[in-house]
Amino acid sequence: MLYVTFAGLFRTVLNKPLILNNMLSIRNLFAGIEDKEILKGFNLEVKAGEVHAIMGPNGSGKSTLASVLAGREEYQVRSGEIIFEGKDLLEMPPEDRAREGIFLAFQYPVEIPGVSITNFLKTAIAEQREYKGLPPIEPKEFLQMMKEKKAIVEIDTNLTNRSVNEGFSGGEKKRNEIFQMAMLDPKLSILDETDSGLDIDALRVVANGVTHLKTPNNACIVITHYQRLLDYIVPDFVHVMYEGRIVKSGGKELALELEEKGYDWIKKELAI
Amino acid sequence: MSETIEGLSLSDKFLAQYSSRIDSLSQGNTDFRILREKAISAFSKIGFPSKKHEEYRYLNLDSFLNHQSLFLNETDQTVLDTQLFNHSLILQDAYRIVLIDGVFSNTFSDLSALLQNIEISSLADAIQNNNSSALAHLGTLANVELDPFIASNTLAFSDGLFCNVSENTKLDKPIQIVHIQTSSHLTHTRVLFVAEKSSQCLVVQTFLSAGNSGVVLNNVVSEILVEESAQVDWTTFQAEEQSAGLMNTTEAHVKQAGIFKTVTITLGADLVRNNLNIVLAAPNCEAHLYGYYHPIHNQVFDNHTLVDHRFPRCESNELYKGVIDNKATAIFNGKVYVRKDAQKTNAYQSNKNILLSDEATINTKPQLEIYADDVKCSHGSSTGILDPEQVFYLRSRGISLDKARSLLLTAYASEIVEQIPHASLRESVAQLISERI
Repeated sequence: MLYVTFAGLFRTVLNKPLILNNMLSIRNLFAGIEDKEILKGFNLEVKAGEVHAIMGPNGSGKSTLASVLAGREEYQVRSGEIIFEGKDLLEMPPEDRAREGIFLAFQYPVEIPGVSITNFLKTAIAEQREYKGLPPIEPKEFLQMMKEKKAIVEIDTNLTNRSVNEGFSGGEKKRNEIFQMAMLDPKLSILDETDSGLDIDALRVVANGVTHLKTPNNACIVITHYQRLLDYIVPDFVHVMYEGRIVKSGGKELALELEEKGYDWIKKELAI
Repeated sequence: MSETIEGLSLSDKFLAQYSSRIDSLSQGNTDFRILREKAISAFSKIGFPSKKHEEYRYLNLDSFLNHQSLFLNETDQTVLDTQLFNHSLILQDAYRIVLIDGVFSNTFSDLSALLQNIEISSLADAIQNNNSSALAHLGTLANVELDPFIASNTLAFSDGLFCNVSENTKLDKPIQIVHIQTSSHLTHTRVLFVAEKSSQCLVVQTFLSAGNSGVVLNNVVSEILVEESAQVDWTTFQAEEQSAGLMNTTEAHVKQAGIFKTVTITLGADLVRNNLNIVLAAPNCEAHLYGYYHPIHNQVFDNHTLVDHRFPRCESNELYKGVIDNKATAIFNGKVYVRKDAQKTNAYQSNKNILLSDEATINTKPQLEIYADDVKCSHGSSTGILDPEQVFYLRSRGISLDKARSLLLTAYASEIVEQIPHASLRESVAQLISERI
C-alpha cells in the first residue's frame, strides 16, 4: 500500500504518469468513416505483458478500432488521443506506427501478386531497422530468422517464395499474418478477427504461434467475435464493446459468460 | 524547286520530293521500282494521317509532321560517341547490327564469328546485289495501301537491314538491332527478316538516340517472315531521348507450326506509335504478344496491335500493361480477327493500365471480331489506380509510401519483364523500369 502511494507520488512529480507504465493509452476516442461516427468515446489502457481481448457484436466498432490504430487513412479521428510509448500515434503515418512497434494482423489480408513474401519482409525489415538506426540485417541472419519463424506457425518453406497471399487458403493467409508478426517482433500486436474463417486445426496453429511470441515486454489486443480463440490465447482482460465504446470489462471469465449468455445479456444488464 | 512546292500540303511536298527521285531511288532494279511506284501511288491517295484518319484518331502527329527539318533526307554517318554502346540495353554477347538514321553501319556493327547459314547485310546492298530472298519478300508483308507510314517508308527508305536465317539454323547468340537517331530529320528505316523453316532465333531491337537536337521522327517498317516450324523471339526496347518520335511498324507472317513472340517495352521518346500486325498465315501456329509502356511527363505512347487468325488451330496470347504518370498519354488498340476458316482458334487478349496521376490519360480499345463458330476467345481491358488496400498493407509493415508504390509497380511490370527471353537483358530492363518508378 505504501509502495503504491510512493509510486503514485513519483509519477505526479514527473508529470508523465502513463509513459512509465502504459504502452498504449486510448482516451475518449471519437472516430469514423465518411459521415458515420463509429467509435464514440473509446478508452483503453494496455501495459507491457498484457493480453486484452475485445469482444462485441457485429458493428460495435471492433475492426474500426484496429483500422484507426494501424492508421488506415479513410478513417477520421474527430477527437481523443492515442498515446503509444509516450508518442502521439495519430500524428504518424502507418509506416511509422509499424516502425514504432505496432502490428496489425489483418482480418482480410490482401493478395499482392508479383511481390514475394521474402522480398516483402526483407524490405519491411530493412526499412524498420533503418528507422531505428540499426545496421542492415545480414542475408544469412535473415534466412536463419525466416527458418525459425516459419516453424512457429508451421509454414511450408515454399510458401515464402510465393507472392504475398496470392492464391493462399484462408488458413495460410492467417498463418502468414502471424509469421510476419514473428519476423517483425512488434511491441503491440492487434489481431483483428484472426480466428474468422479458420478450422480448428488452423486456429490452434495460429493461436499457438501468438502464445509462443508472447513476452513480458510485448502486448496483444485480440479482437474477436467468439470465445473459442481465447481458449488458446488466454487474455488478462476481456472488454465488451458496444456502440463504439467499452461497456464492460473483466477477467477471462467474462468471455465464457458472454459465450454462454450472448451479447443480449450485456445489453439487458446495462439497460442499453 | 522550293518555290514550286510553296502552298502545297505536307504530304504533297513529301511526295514531290521523292517522286522526282524515283530513278535513283530504284537502284536500277525493275522489281524495286515497281514497289516504289506502288508506294507513291498509295501515299498520294492516303497522305500523312490527320486526326480524321480512324487509325490515328488519338495521336496528334502535327508537331512532328509540321517540322521543317523533316524534309532534309540526306543521311550522314555522324561520328558516334562509342559510349553509347555501354548502354545497359546493349548486349555484349550478340551479333550487333547498328542502323544509324536508318543506314546500316559497317563501322559499328559487329558480325564477327557469324554463323555461315545466317545472312546479315545492309538492305540497300542486298537489293543492289539482287539477293533473291530479299527481292522475293520485300514489300510482300507490309502492304503500302493499308497504312500511310508503310507507304511513306516504302517510297522513301534508302537503307536498313536484311537478315535471312537459313533452314534448321539455331542461333548461338541473339541478334541485336540497334537503331540510333542522330540527325534531326525524318528518317526511314526498313528491316526485312526471314526465318526459314525450323530455324530459331532471338532478336533484340533497341532504339536509342545520340545527341540529336530538334524534332526527330524515325519511321521504321519491319517485315518478318516466320516460316514453317520456325521460332522467332522479337524483343523491342524503346529508350530514345526526349524530342524523338518513333513510328514503328512490324508486319509478321507466321507459317505452319511457326511461333512468333514479341515483347515490346516502351520508355523513351516523346511520341511512339507501334503498329504490330501479325498474320497467322497457316494452321497450328502461335503468336505471343507482350507489352509494357510507361509514359511520364508529356510522353505519348500508342500501341496498335492486330492478330489475324486466318487458319484453324492457331493460338494467340496478348498481354499489354501500362503505367501512365504525370500528363502522359497512352493508347492501346488491340484487334483480334478470327476468320471463318480459323476453327479451333484460341485467342486471348488483355490490356491493363494504372494511372498514377489525375492528368494522365489512357485510351484503350480491345476489339475481337469472330467469324468462326468453334473457338475459345477472350478479351478485356482494365484501368485503375494502385490498389490502396495493397499500399496500406505494405505500409502497415513499416514500408514507406514511396517504397510501397515502387514494390507494387515493379511487381506489376514484372509479369511482362519475365517474358524477356534473356537473363541479363531482363535485369537491365527491370532496372530501367525501377528507375522510372
